[in-house]
Amino acid sequence: MQDHYKPITTVQGVPSGNKLMTEASVESKNHPIMITLQDTISGDGFLAGVTLSGRALMRKEDDGKWWMYGVRPAAIAESGSNIEEAFLRFRQKYKETLFDIAQESRDFEAFRAEVERFFYEGDEDEQAWGVALRAVRSGNIAPPEPFSKLRRESPESRPSQIGVERLDRKDKRFMSSDNVTDTFSVAQAA
Amino acid sequence: MSASAAFADIKKMLDECAPGHTLRLANHSRVVTYNNKLYRTLPKFDNIELGHIRKMVRHLGINQECAKRHGVI
Repeated sequence: MQDHYKPITTVQGVPSGNKLMTEASVESKNHPIMITLQDTISGDGFLAGVTLSGRALMRKEDDGKWWMYGVRPAAIAESGSNIEEAFLRFRQKYKETLFDIAQESRDFEAFRAEVERFFYEGDEDEQAWGVALRAVRSGNIAPPEPFSKLRRESPESRPSQIGVERLDRKDKRFMSSDNVTDTFSVAQAA
Repeated sequence: MSASAAFADIKKMLDECAPGHTLRLANHSRVVTYNNKLYRTLPKFDNIELGHIRKMVRHLGINQECAKRHGVI
C-alpha cells in the first residue's frame, strides 16, 4: 500500500554545473483545487440558499482512481476514474450532506449553525493544501495533465467561505445575478 | 490488494483505535463522532473504499498506526 503520510510533495530541480537551470519540474501528489458550489435546500419550515467557496485536494491513489479530499469542508471525500468524475461525485456527496443536515435540523438557525460547523471544522489536509500550493508556486510551471485544461485561480481572489441565507423571507428579492455555476479550478499564483 | 474494506473491519478499528466514538445512520451516510469532531460522510455500503476511511481517520484524528494495524487504510 502507498504510504499516504510520507511527505506529500517533492521538488526536483535540474541544475547542471554552472549553467542556468534550464528545466525544472514539480512533482506533487496533491493538487490544490478551488471549488464553488451553490444549492437551494428545503428544511422543516424553511428554504435555504447555500453558497460555498471551498478548497480540496485532488490526488491519484494506488487504486488507480482520482480522489478528491475536502479541505473546506474537510469531512468529505469522493473518487472517480478521472478528475471530472471525482468532482461530480464529490459535489453529489456534498449535496446529500446538506440534505442530511436539513433533515436533522429543527429550524433554519440550527441548519445554518451545523452547515457552518461542517464547513469550518478542519483537519491536517488544510496544511497539505498549503504545501501543495507552495509547490505549485515555487515551480512556476503549468499544472500537469489532466489539470492543464482547468481554469486557474488565485486563492487570494476567492477566499474560502460559506454563506447560508434564508430565502423564504418576505423582504427577499430574487435576482438572476445571484446564480452561481458549479466550478472547480486549480489554485495558482496570485 | 483490495481497495476497500468491510464495514465490520472498520467498526473493529474504531472500537480499538477510537474509544468513545459514536456511530449512527443518517439518511445518506454514516455519521461518526470522535475527539469532539464529526465525520458525516462515511458511505452506508457494506464495503467502503479505502479513500473514505483514510479521510475519516485524518479528520477525526484517529491514531494512524493503529488504523494501519487493522489494514483499513
